[in-house]
Amino acid sequence: MFYHISLEHEILLHPRYFGPQLLDIVKQKLYTEVEGTCTGKYGFVIAVTAIDSIGAGLIQPGQGFVVYPVKYKAIVFRPFKGEVLDAIVTQVNKVGMFAQIGPLSCFISHHSIPADMEFCPNVNPPCYKSKQEDNVIQEEDVIRLKIVGTRVDATGIFAIGTLMDDYLGLVTQ
Amino acid sequence: MADKTMPIFVPSEKPVKVVKWKVKQGVFVSQGQILFLYNDSSGQDTELKKYKAGRAGTISSIKVKEGDIAEPGQAIAELEECRHPTVMKEMCAECGADLRTDEVTNRDVAVVPMVHSVPELKVSEELAQKLGREDADRLLKDRKLVLLVDLDQTLVHTTNDNIPPNLKGVLHFFLRGPGCPGRWCHTRLRPRTQEFLENASKIYELHVCTFGARQYAHAIADLLDPEKKYFSHRILSRDECFDARTKAANLKALFPCGDNMVCIIDDREDVWRHATNLIHVRPYSFFQSTGDINAPPPPVDEKPKEKLPTGKNGAQVNQMPTLDAEPEQKDASKNKENKEEGSNGKIVSKEVKKDNADAKDSEEADQEGDERIAQDPAEPRWLETSDGQIEVEDPDDYLIYLDDILKRIHKHFYEHYDKMGKNQIPDLKTIIPEVKCEVLAGTSLVFSGLVPTHQRLETSRAYQVAKSLGAEVTQDYTNKTTHLVAVRAGTAKVNASKKMSEGKANKLHVVTPDWLWTCAERWERVDERLYPLQRGGQSRWRRPPAHCSSPPPAAAPRRRTPSGRFMDTINPLLSFSSDDIADMDREVEDIFNESDESSSDDEKPDGDELDNKERLISASAENSMQDSIPDRLPDSQDAEATNDSEMDDESRPRKRPRTSSPPSEEEPPDDDDSSWNLMGAALEKELLAQD
Repeated sequence: MFYHISLEHEILLHPRYFGPQLLDIVKQKLYTEVEGTCTGKYGFVIAVTAIDSIGAGLIQPGQGFVVYPVKYKAIVFRPFKGEVLDAIVTQVNKVGMFAQIGPLSCFISHHSIPADMEFCPNVNPPCYKSKQEDNVIQEEDVIRLKIVGTRVDATGIFAIGTLMDDYLGLVTQ
Repeated sequence: MADKTMPIFVPSEKPVKVVKWKVKQGVFVSQGQILFLYNDSSGQDTELKKYKAGRAGTISSIKVKEGDIAEPGQAIAELEECRHPTVMKEMCAECGADLRTDEVTNRDVAVVPMVHSVPELKVSEELAQKLGREDADRLLKDRKLVLLVDLDQTLVHTTNDNIPPNLKGVLHFFLRGPGCPGRWCHTRLRPRTQEFLENASKIYELHVCTFGARQYAHAIADLLDPEKKYFSHRILSRDECFDARTKAANLKALFPCGDNMVCIIDDREDVWRHATNLIHVRPYSFFQSTGDINAPPPPVDEKPKEKLPTGKNGAQVNQMPTLDAEPEQKDASKNKENKEEGSNGKIVSKEVKKDNADAKDSEEADQEGDERIAQDPAEPRWLETSDGQIEVEDPDDYLIYLDDILKRIHKHFYEHYDKMGKNQIPDLKTIIPEVKCEVLAGTSLVFSGLVPTHQRLETSRAYQVAKSLGAEVTQDYTNKTTHLVAVRAGTAKVNASKKMSEGKANKLHVVTPDWLWTCAERWERVDERLYPLQRGGQSRWRRPPAHCSSPPPAAAPRRRTPSGRFMDTINPLLSFSSDDIADMDREVEDIFNESDESSSDDEKPDGDELDNKERLISASAENSMQDSIPDRLPDSQDAEATNDSEMDDESRPRKRPRTSSPPSEEEPPDDDDSSWNLMGAALEKELLAQD
């Protein structure tokens, strides 16, 4: 799920940047340091939309570095159990398939793929195929899946998905 | 593990009527999913209530039909709890349960990482067996086998050194590692790699199995196979290896039903623990100064094959015997001039491979080699400048033979399979030695000057190589003797051979050891006429090339544990054969010996006059000396340890200097002082060069 929330971040700035461009550099640094990161609590920070305030810088004793507390708004993506999402299949193998939902990787076990779909290793690329061959899921396809579990680490989130529910599976454009 | 089946009891104090089942028997339900609707059977309260599953699992049986009334305490259905057979990052991939917080007992079910590139994804033994069987059935149906392909020095050669950007046939890519600035890699594919993969993929399912990092492995696989038609995602890299030293441990995970159908090609035997289903290929080396950049950690080193393409005058093809190679480097500056003035004349350079120099002379001189170059930034030798591209002739044609070997193995396997009954699968671990045994079957060899007198014939490498090729080897002439393998002319046996062949109808072949090595390399009986023993002069003696050190077929096949259970075998400690353990002992011994000897032969400095001199002296000394004196063991130990040291000599990986140019064929016996001084000199040089 996407959220637009207020967040805070501290920017540590080298004294060489002290000058007329200082605040620009703080902003730039915020974008590079924050966008694309992932925290367990808020999920993936997709984009910074606004910088609300850059607080007073605090010089670090003995170093000369300055710490700026920055408040900003950002769009974050936090997956939840039970959420239904569209994903792109990245790898298909005999144990299941991997899919990517933007920055989020997801694994769907063979058992969570409808039983009528079988793994076909001989075609290139390998795929899951139903008996009538009317339903084929292979790499690069868009599928709709439901998240059944998430593993939240300090640096990333990994999800387990399933296709065993109504309206899940291949998304035909 | 005990079945975790738990009954679902009537959810209230009063009898209830099951109005509608929302699930069927045998269906997997997740936690919180509605199982059935019910209401109070007394009829007063008609409001439907939902019963939700308390845990994830499979409905193993439904005991109360729709519309029936169940009493309190009666089981309505049974729910078999999810056993987490597939686990991804410690999370059950079936029910989504977090196994980190669960009881410890739940954890151990899924232990087999079956997918090459995703070690975090593990499946249970049971599921692994099932998937493995499916794979095997499919392969048999398609009449294919599995081929594990090594990358470095088998199909490609990669260097991180600076090389001219205009080398023909060299691919460049940049690897960005986490936490490091990244590096440029320059990769040369072995000649005919594409054809080889194309042919092999028809009868084999190809898997990459390399000690390169994951990123590197995938980058190379992309180069080899941009459409992913050969390897798909079957790429196993260092990041997924269980063990930093050996690839053998991963076999059981990738092929849970056994490695009966697995064939391996690699330039290193040790990483597979000398498995009998390994085809030891001749290492491919293109960039002269680099060995295998992804070799497993220490005591591993390889001597690179030498290529000394050197053109002194325009159009002249220069083949330098190995020992002359070092002085030749001094001609680099000359060559530089030649390059400029010789742009109209062609400087064709020829790589001289240590192990194959003369083997190849005869037949490869006329072969149009692929363009290529081995190189070293400061010394642009061996150049051909036509359209700004640097070309070097690449005489490596090993893949042609390898292709043929693989075809023979495949044919042999399916011949056996067709003969055997259903459900029986022949084992490549016995088939491959059998195929190899046919190479020289029916021949009977006598060695002259090949095996040191103080060594038993049976323990020499030449003997083992010949045996593995199916030849008979006898100490002396017999009626059946067909070949005399002699290092030099003029020995008693050589002289006797003349008399022998006079009286006989079929001639006795007198050949150099190169004949044997070449047979072992190509797995075919090469024409003896190509390797005649030179009269008078001593034929260029060479030690057996690395790829000739295959163990005899009978060597310690890995046994399954008595129970035959997969779980028991996955513990690598259990699969150590006595040989392995002996190896380990030897390794420890080596380390002790090394500390005494103080010399490091890994980083041999050279390009240094002193060194050259020493090398020449020592090499000439060695020519007359016996080969079995291992370079690391002091002579005093030699006598008592012939057997051991010979083994050690053979199984120890070749030296592989990383940055220095190739050493001479034999490492000179180490002299403490001089080698330290040399090392110091080399270091100094390096430092200066950096500035």
